[in-house]
Amino acid sequence: MTVPQPSLEPLRLERRPDGRLAAGRGGALTPVRPVRCFPWSGPTAFISLRDDGDREVALVVDPAHLDADSRALLEEELAHAGFVLRVARIRAIDDELEIRVWRVDTQQGARTFQTARDEWPRPLPNGGLLLRDVAGDLYLIPPTAELEPASRQLLWPFTD
Amino acid sequence: MSARARQRDREIIDRYTDQPPRLPVELRAELERSFHGKPVQLYALVDLDPSLKLVEGWLALGPDQLAIARRKDSGWAVDRIDRARIRSVRETPGLTCHLLSFLGAPDEPPLAQVRYTHRQRRAVDVIRTVLEQAGSAQDGSADDLYADAIAAPIREAQALVAGSDTAIILRLLGYLRPYRRQVAIGMGAAVLVTVLSLVPAWLAGFLIDRVARPSADGKPAGKIAGDIALICVGAIAAAYLLRSLFTFVRLRFMAYLGEYVARDLRTEIYEHLQTLSVSFFSRKKTGSLITRVTSDTDRLWEFLAFGVVDVSLSLVMLLGIGAVLISLDWRLGLVMTLPVPLLCAGIFLHGKRLERFFLRAWRQWSRLTDVVSDTIPGIRVVKAFHQEDSERARFAARNAAATDQFNQIHVVWTRFWPALMFSIHCLTVAVWFFALPRLLGSTSPALSAGTFVSFLLYATMFVNPIEVIGQMARTMNRATSSAHRIFEVLDTEPEITMAAEPISLEPVRGRVTFDQVSFGYEPGRLVLKNLSFDVTPGEMIGLVGKSGGGKTTIANLIARFYDPTAGTVRIDGVDLRDVELGGYRRQVGMVLQDPYLFHGTIADNIRYGLPDAPIGDVIAAAITANAHDFVCRLPHGYDTVVGERGHTLSGGERQRISIARALLHDPRVLILDEATSSVDTETERAIEEAIHRLIAGRTVFAIAHRLSTLRRATRLFVIEDGKLSESGSHADLMGNVTSTYRRLVELQREVQHAV
Repeated sequence: MTVPQPSLEPLRLERRPDGRLAAGRGGALTPVRPVRCFPWSGPTAFISLRDDGDREVALVVDPAHLDADSRALLEEELAHAGFVLRVARIRAIDDELEIRVWRVDTQQGARTFQTARDEWPRPLPNGGLLLRDVAGDLYLIPPTAELEPASRQLLWPFTD
Repeated sequence: MSARARQRDREIIDRYTDQPPRLPVELRAELERSFHGKPVQLYALVDLDPSLKLVEGWLALGPDQLAIARRKDSGWAVDRIDRARIRSVRETPGLTCHLLSFLGAPDEPPLAQVRYTHRQRRAVDVIRTVLEQAGSAQDGSADDLYADAIAAPIREAQALVAGSDTAIILRLLGYLRPYRRQVAIGMGAAVLVTVLSLVPAWLAGFLIDRVARPSADGKPAGKIAGDIALICVGAIAAAYLLRSLFTFVRLRFMAYLGEYVARDLRTEIYEHLQTLSVSFFSRKKTGSLITRVTSDTDRLWEFLAFGVVDVSLSLVMLLGIGAVLISLDWRLGLVMTLPVPLLCAGIFLHGKRLERFFLRAWRQWSRLTDVVSDTIPGIRVVKAFHQEDSERARFAARNAAATDQFNQIHVVWTRFWPALMFSIHCLTVAVWFFALPRLLGSTSPALSAGTFVSFLLYATMFVNPIEVIGQMARTMNRATSSAHRIFEVLDTEPEITMAAEPISLEPVRGRVTFDQVSFGYEPGRLVLKNLSFDVTPGEMIGLVGKSGGGKTTIANLIARFYDPTAGTVRIDGVDLRDVELGGYRRQVGMVLQDPYLFHGTIADNIRYGLPDAPIGDVIAAAITANAHDFVCRLPHGYDTVVGERGHTLSGGERQRISIARALLHDPRVLILDEATSSVDTETERAIEEAIHRLIAGRTVFAIAHRLSTLRRATRLFVIEDGKLSESGSHADLMGNVTSTYRRLVELQREVQHAV
């Protein structure tokens, strides 16, 4: 199935003076924020550009079809919008009353966070795991083969 | 916020996050110097730098300036912006990183930008709200607001954190205090049971050494030996009999005791739940609260009735046996007792190891139950798309995975327990090994046969207490987690409190005034913003606007389910916070979109709140509510049982019952929240008629999606984004071509015509 592309004008992205990303075809551009339609199963395609009222201004099926400047801007913005903490090493996982306490080193720095006891890590298509802590932050754990043995051992109850 | 709540928030931050519990002292001093001695009003941690690394940065708000501080070497690099220059604040949300931009003149680069994770968002939002409204900070100190914002998600997930497990167990044991007598009798009986258990083995040894063997040598003579033996056997029988008697006393008293304490806890928790505010119930899942009143109290019964006694007596038993063994023969005694701590440790470690296997199995189990809870309610979709085979396969795969995991658990424990038994038997073998040469007289000191037999008998008694003590950690864990969940509820303080000398308003006349009312369910996110209006008694007000605009919140504040964050709600000119709540609520009626009927008869449901209302009044209310007719068509009439597990009524029928309930109640202030939105047109007409009769002579606030139902309103309030954007009669607002109300009415007419 092909996704309809209503306008013939090419989609253009720009950085406005106030720092915002703006997108449009031809004339005036609308300030937008990009949202990945498939953040985990296909992060590189289908990016929805949404305005302040959360309405879709354009759907980028494949960023490769954009001009180089627009693509660079989009990727820059996506790096921010799609940012999650990437776990490099697990130091401890302790079950406490109602919550599970994770002490980890992320690529961004050390972090302690909590998940609900009945909330299991979500397996991702690439073999990694996604965790959501009680405050709403997301943590990406790489496939177990990429972890060092001590982390793998701690993670064992949560993997297949 | 109470001092205890503040303390708890700081403890949560200390224990569960790796961020400071407050703004560093030296930074605060530096900032306040640069604010010309004025205080830091609010602050938040901004924990991501532009390259998205975790760092310690602070956003601090003073009366005239906003400061952004970043750690630099051993000090701080601080940027300051005059608040007057900030025209707007924009948040760009991401999955985990949020970007806040402070904007000056349009088309100019942002004055500053900060990045932070979700954890900091509540605290940042409070600052953002104050900046957007150009207002001053909310109530409460900056430290408290920051600590509350960071601790809230963990507190809500876990609740009470203060207090160690020991403190929780001690608090739980405090519930035994009213039953001191029973505790003393139960524990006394249990101690006697333990002591009596030690008697038969000792007597067996005595019989052999002092009676049987000397008798074989003719001393004492057969007759005397026979008499002594008989006395010993009688003593053994008496010991067993008394042991059974005391076991009975212990079981009976402790079981009753556990039941009393569980009853006290259930009563206390249920009574406390009734005092808590609506906000508490919206935070907690209903299922989890029900579990606390039912299963958790039941689990504590088990712990108090048996766990406490079992654990303490097992300790007494082990010490008792150890002491007896060592006193009988210290060498053999040490052979038996020295390895006991090792065995207990072995059981404890085994439990720890099993936990990991259980965790894995529970995960598979929850995947299995997910399939069932997914497909049973959605069975029509499964069948419509002919997915029975794939669902069967999905279930089979998860079923197999769960079974594999449980089998792995069985592999572990089935290996462990025989090994443990073998270790205990090894101890017996060791006793044989060391004892035999002494029995045979080949080494000294000599050992008597009686002592040896006593030893063997005591050895068999070792197993049970070792097992109980090894599992003590698990027993304690289960009890503390239940106790914890119960104490969490008991420690929650009601957010709506009564004034020290409340003013009784009886009868309420019905004047409702909102004076610059602001309200947010969460700090920093205001749902109502500076809302003011004055409604005279007998007026009907239609509340109109998009969902999420704050209409229901207005109703919640009128009923005082919540108190405003700022401003005052007045009834008949009196601040609602000073009004005696019980009497006031009796004069407020609510008819909601999805009316709730309790388990009971229709008559009971209409009479809810007024159980003594005469039956004539019940029928009159039902007739006025257009409910009488359909009730009489039911085979059991007004005696029909409805609610959970009762007769199923349609939405419209339940609605009319709830209107009859409100009518009987005869409220002075009536709130209708989408009372007709979920019924068909014909039912809607019947309900509208009923409502029309209901509203006469009362102050009414009606929220309706279908604007046609608000035709009778004296005035209409259009609520947009938490503010009163328009007000006036239907004719007034329709006469204004730019009015939002007129646009909404036209839009609905178009939709109706299209149909």
